[in-house]
Amino acid sequence: MFTTRLLAALALTAGLASPAAAKIEVVATLPDLAALAAEIGGDLVSVTALARPSEDPHYVDPKPSLLLPMSRADVLIFNGLELEIGWLPPLLVNARNGRIQPGGTGYLDASTLVQTKLQVPAGRIDRAQGDIHPGGNPHFTHDPRRAAEVALGIGARLAAVDPDHAATYRDNAQRIATELRRLAKQQAARFAALPAAKRQVVVYHDSWVYLADWLGLEQIATVEEKPGIKPSPGHVARVLSTMKQSGAGLILQEEYYPRNTSETLSKLAKGALAVLRGGVHFERGETYAEHTQEIADQLYDALTK
Amino acid sequence: MPRCYRLALALLTSVAPGPALGASPADDGASPGVADELTPEERAAIERALGADSEARGDAEVTPPTAQPVGFAAVLQNLNPNMSLILDAAVSYFSSAPLQVGAHDPNHTGFTFQQLEMHLDSNVDPFFRLDANLVFSPFGVEVEEAYATTLDLPAGLQLRAGQFLTRFGRVNNTHPHAWHFIDQPLVNGKFLGGEGSRGLGLEVSWLTPLPWYVELVASATDPAGAATARSFYGAEDLGISGLEDVLYTLAVKQFFSLDDDWSLLWGLSAQLGPNPTGNGNRSSLFGSDLHLRYRPLEHAGRTSVELTVEGMFRSRQVPDDALQDWGMYAQLVWQIDSEWEVGLRHDFVSGVADDYLDPDEDSARNRTAVEAAFYPSHFSRVRLQGAYDRPAWRDEPIWAVSLGLEVLIGAHGAHSY
Repeated sequence: MFTTRLLAALALTAGLASPAAAKIEVVATLPDLAALAAEIGGDLVSVTALARPSEDPHYVDPKPSLLLPMSRADVLIFNGLELEIGWLPPLLVNARNGRIQPGGTGYLDASTLVQTKLQVPAGRIDRAQGDIHPGGNPHFTHDPRRAAEVALGIGARLAAVDPDHAATYRDNAQRIATELRRLAKQQAARFAALPAAKRQVVVYHDSWVYLADWLGLEQIATVEEKPGIKPSPGHVARVLSTMKQSGAGLILQEEYYPRNTSETLSKLAKGALAVLRGGVHFERGETYAEHTQEIADQLYDALTK
Repeated sequence: MPRCYRLALALLTSVAPGPALGASPADDGASPGVADELTPEERAAIERALGADSEARGDAEVTPPTAQPVGFAAVLQNLNPNMSLILDAAVSYFSSAPLQVGAHDPNHTGFTFQQLEMHLDSNVDPFFRLDANLVFSPFGVEVEEAYATTLDLPAGLQLRAGQFLTRFGRVNNTHPHAWHFIDQPLVNGKFLGGEGSRGLGLEVSWLTPLPWYVELVASATDPAGAATARSFYGAEDLGISGLEDVLYTLAVKQFFSLDDDWSLLWGLSAQLGPNPTGNGNRSSLFGSDLHLRYRPLEHAGRTSVELTVEGMFRSRQVPDDALQDWGMYAQLVWQIDSEWEVGLRHDFVSGVADDYLDPDEDSARNRTAVEAAFYPSHFSRVRLQGAYDRPAWRDEPIWAVSLGLEVLIGAHGAHSY
């Protein structure tokens, strides 16, 4: 009797210990979400990112090869707030995988984990305002405090999908959230010490509101007058005069946006241009915290130059 | 005795290769850990009870709760389907009588209302999704497509049922707003029909578990329709009296990521079905399509270059003869940035004598077109296209110029590859 129980226990342990046997397959649309999931899941999960950090997450090529990891996935983590609406929906249908369909246990919209969203339209929205997102600005992964909320949510979901390791997922998520909150606080304090005039920024696409919110930066203009629509010369001229009047010296943009306009503007305003990577180098093993630290340093250097 | 079962179960769980093999919580609602606690008798009892409940309630299974959209998004979304409306209109000049083949092509000098397409889609329940494309034209409303797609069949299978565009080749399964050029390729119009190959029927596709993307598609559809099954029953609906009267479409699609920036999609397709020229006479279509795409991931801005080549061979049994012809198009499109795109396309179709569908077209036709498109935003585009058309059976070539406008409102449409 005792022997059978022991054997059963041994067999179970052997199964869990062999890494290939029971890995939870996680697919994340953005490398930032993939990096969080990989850190939370550790050896228990295998994570695939659909987009590279150098890709504009609004316009990822829906290559049929992306269907392969999606068809096997136990969990799909996506940004939400319509960031991926231009490419994810058909992939989701063609993946033929009920676990990651809306309502499935593996369908995780990361934006639902973020308590406070910014730029949530108050009234009726209209496409004449540009390509705006009805649920609010979707670029919350630029803020480690919100990434901490997402990490806790991913931990909870992995715990639900793989209850045998629930404690591991929750502990890891908690540890990462604490680390990110500490990092956020540290950097916020460092930036707060800068004079207010130094903390003014101009952004290319309106994708840095969460970062500005975190670091106490004041966004005084966007080079794109309306999201997703190429700026007109008249608007660029207005941005330039705003920059001159306010003394704001820094233009901020992701590396996947064209940079000629920003370069010219920063020259004319005698300022600087900071071209930041759009996301974590997940494919090179970078963690979300490492990437965030790097962005903060890059930004701090640019602001204090 | 139950202990032995428990041991066997534990052993099975330990060697099962992960969640894919029925141990996943999403598959059966019980996690591997919980499953170990149950004896087979207990599991069987639960399944019996669930089965009885389902029968009693007349429903299927309960889906687990997930996070709901919050705030304004929830108010907007409700349970309405995604809806969008796309208008295509053009103004054109043709140097002599046009020979356009597509049902929505600009086809005369002056203004053409190409189409007003309404697209609706939504998940029906956890098992199905519905897609509908209704096309409004000055002549009325047409149900272009209306089909249900399964969402969660096992083993990589998917079914589509209803009226749909068949997956023959590359361009056939797409709508005009996904095309780079303002009109349909000649070979598609001549072989498949002005509306493209489509019909009422059933399609099964299988996403194979191979390490690269390989999808197998098979469908059975109605072989009638002058603009939708032209090489088969076409305008003469002789009805379906047996399996041999159905139009079968078979396709293999493969995708290769050559590296981060280059990719290749390759398809092979076939259509087999009856034609109306005599009892038992059949038509067959064979096609191959290649889509080579370069999109540099490290490049700022959205630039890409793509080459698409699609060729088709057709054979039709007619009384005392077999008509064989072929056609192809090749197009090169350069998306310069998010606003500008230019493209070049060449069309070719061969001709045969005594073609019962196109009695005039006994010789070849070549058409060359160039286009330039400007996208003010993601939801609108203005296109200018010029074409030089040389049907060998006509004395003079046809020069054509079209200026087209396309605008979209409603749900953000997604792009397929």
